[in-house]
Amino acid sequence: MKKRIPHITGVLAVVFLLAFPFIYTRADYDFMMHLWITAFFYAILASSWSLLGGYAGQFSFGHMAFMAIGAYATGLFSNYVYLASAPTHVCTEFKLGDFYLVFLEPIGVTSTKLTCLDLAKQSWPVDVIVTQPSIVWGILLGILLGGVFGLLIGALVLRLRAAYLALLTIGFSEILRAAISAEIFITRGQAGLRLKPLFSNGLTIFGRTYSAIDKVPPYYLMLFLFLFCIAIMVWLVRSRFGLFIRSIREDEEAAAALAVNTVRYKILVFVITSMMAAAAGAVQAHYIGIITPNILILLQMSIVIAMAVIGGLESIVGAAVGAIIISFTLEFLRSSFTIGPVTVDMTIWRLVIFGLLLMLTLRFWRNGLIYPLLLWFSRAGAKQETVAKRLTDADPDGAGGPTEESV
Amino acid sequence: MIQLEINKVCKNFGGLQVLKDVSLKVEGPELIGLIGPNGAGKTTLTNILDGVIKPTSGTVYLNGKRIDPLPPYKAAQAGVGRTFQVTRAFRRLTVLENLYVPALAMNPTARQRDFRKRAVEVLTFLTMEHLRNEYAQALSGGQQKLLELGRLLMLNPDIMILDEPFAGVHPKLMEIIYQYIYRVNEEGKAIIIISHDMETIFTLCRRLLVLNYGDLIADGDPEIVKKDPVVIEAYLGRDEEEQ
Repeated sequence: MKKRIPHITGVLAVVFLLAFPFIYTRADYDFMMHLWITAFFYAILASSWSLLGGYAGQFSFGHMAFMAIGAYATGLFSNYVYLASAPTHVCTEFKLGDFYLVFLEPIGVTSTKLTCLDLAKQSWPVDVIVTQPSIVWGILLGILLGGVFGLLIGALVLRLRAAYLALLTIGFSEILRAAISAEIFITRGQAGLRLKPLFSNGLTIFGRTYSAIDKVPPYYLMLFLFLFCIAIMVWLVRSRFGLFIRSIREDEEAAAALAVNTVRYKILVFVITSMMAAAAGAVQAHYIGIITPNILILLQMSIVIAMAVIGGLESIVGAAVGAIIISFTLEFLRSSFTIGPVTVDMTIWRLVIFGLLLMLTLRFWRNGLIYPLLLWFSRAGAKQETVAKRLTDADPDGAGGPTEESV
Repeated sequence: MIQLEINKVCKNFGGLQVLKDVSLKVEGPELIGLIGPNGAGKTTLTNILDGVIKPTSGTVYLNGKRIDPLPPYKAAQAGVGRTFQVTRAFRRLTVLENLYVPALAMNPTARQRDFRKRAVEVLTFLTMEHLRNEYAQALSGGQQKLLELGRLLMLNPDIMILDEPFAGVHPKLMEIIYQYIYRVNEEGKAIIIISHDMETIFTLCRRLLVLNYGDLIADGDPEIVKKDPVVIEAYLGRDEEEQ
């Protein structure tokens, strides 16, 4: 029964999350929904990073860069790509069935110049149809590009370990941030790239109609993306893939000597986790409605890693739960308070508390705070005595005594 | 029949020549000892057979297939298995999981449960069945050596290279390793044992190779090799003097 507790808890948690938008009725409804959506976003990032860093031992600091690739890919797609039923003759365009796929030229942030599409519209008859492709295509493009960059970075860092891998991926992330900041003409730099809402025409589900700014549809979209990613990752870590990436983490040379194609699995884990980060980034970008290069600052990456570490580096579910708890905690700790003449500004001090928790976790609970609980339940029923004791009982001569490292 | 053919293999690291035109053949389930002083090139030769490093010149064939350009995982799939001088168990994997790694890597469509019976048999043979769900890091050094040997049984290679299999092992576990070597050899596998333990080498092996600073200075019956003045001068004599 004890072994089943995590499963039962998991099912109850999913039921609670599915029901939450209908059972929560307090005045801060929109705020709470926003917190949940953001928590799911971070949970996807933290759990996919735990697959990369915790299971495969690839300590990458480039995870937020892949998230940003997904976000900017769909952002640029929804800003620059149109479908028209007639050729513009002035834009870059490709015929696509009955329509033309039209790419607008970048016109910068403050330019009042008309786009090539605006110019074309002036000479078109009124019956020419101009639409934008569904944002689903933008999100899919973001995921695909995340995977392509994951493949490239994965191949580039194949021979790098530990600090070198971390430094290279920080470099990649910073290059991307600098490039996005510099290409104001295309990305609008720090002014931010605006994106269409996830459901710009609203949505009707089971007879209930939701507007474009309603939080319920994005909540469910992010929840399903989160659950889908978790399901994929849990399946992966329980399969040969999980076994192989853990063996590579432990000893790459030994794994290769035992016929494991280490190159393939190292690249695969980069591609899979990059695609998940890109998917989360693309959906979140449409939900928030604007993206800036600040999503790539090192603090953001550090928060994701800290969430994974505190939840449990070697546990997909632990990292996800850790990310959700920390997302909420960081938000609730924003409220400043006064003790006598002193006012404590928690918008700053909350990060100090968070950092302290991270330090204590790394020092005293290296497997995180959530994972040991899951492990305790899942190993329930196992014999409690240590290997050393068992061997001593079986072999008083001490032939199989544990090594110093094993204790 | 297993056939390993090493032809004029040289390996240079910068200006240092670690292996010089080493040639030898292994035919059938031979039990071979490979000895030599530190720096003789034993591990380099192993790494070339295993695909970890490429020879500067020369070729290696296993069962008619050239294996020296292959990456390690393909060399393993081609039939080369090895253990390491310093034990390299997957410490945060359980004992059973350690055994599943090579089994699954060799059988792309199989599942873990397909190998459970075989894994338990291997562990029973190695007297480690009771430890199957323990993490490898909880095992003693000797047990980790046994686990490495167990992984080789799951890999099921044609030729096994055991690098210092007896180093730091309790006599009781050594006995198990002896049995392991005899049994695997009887099953038709060729085994190359690298060891500084002369007594064990002379007890176990029916053929002895001696490397000295990259040169293969002797290859033959252990009783004859150990009386070879070149070998005594290069290795055995000096060793006895040191003792």
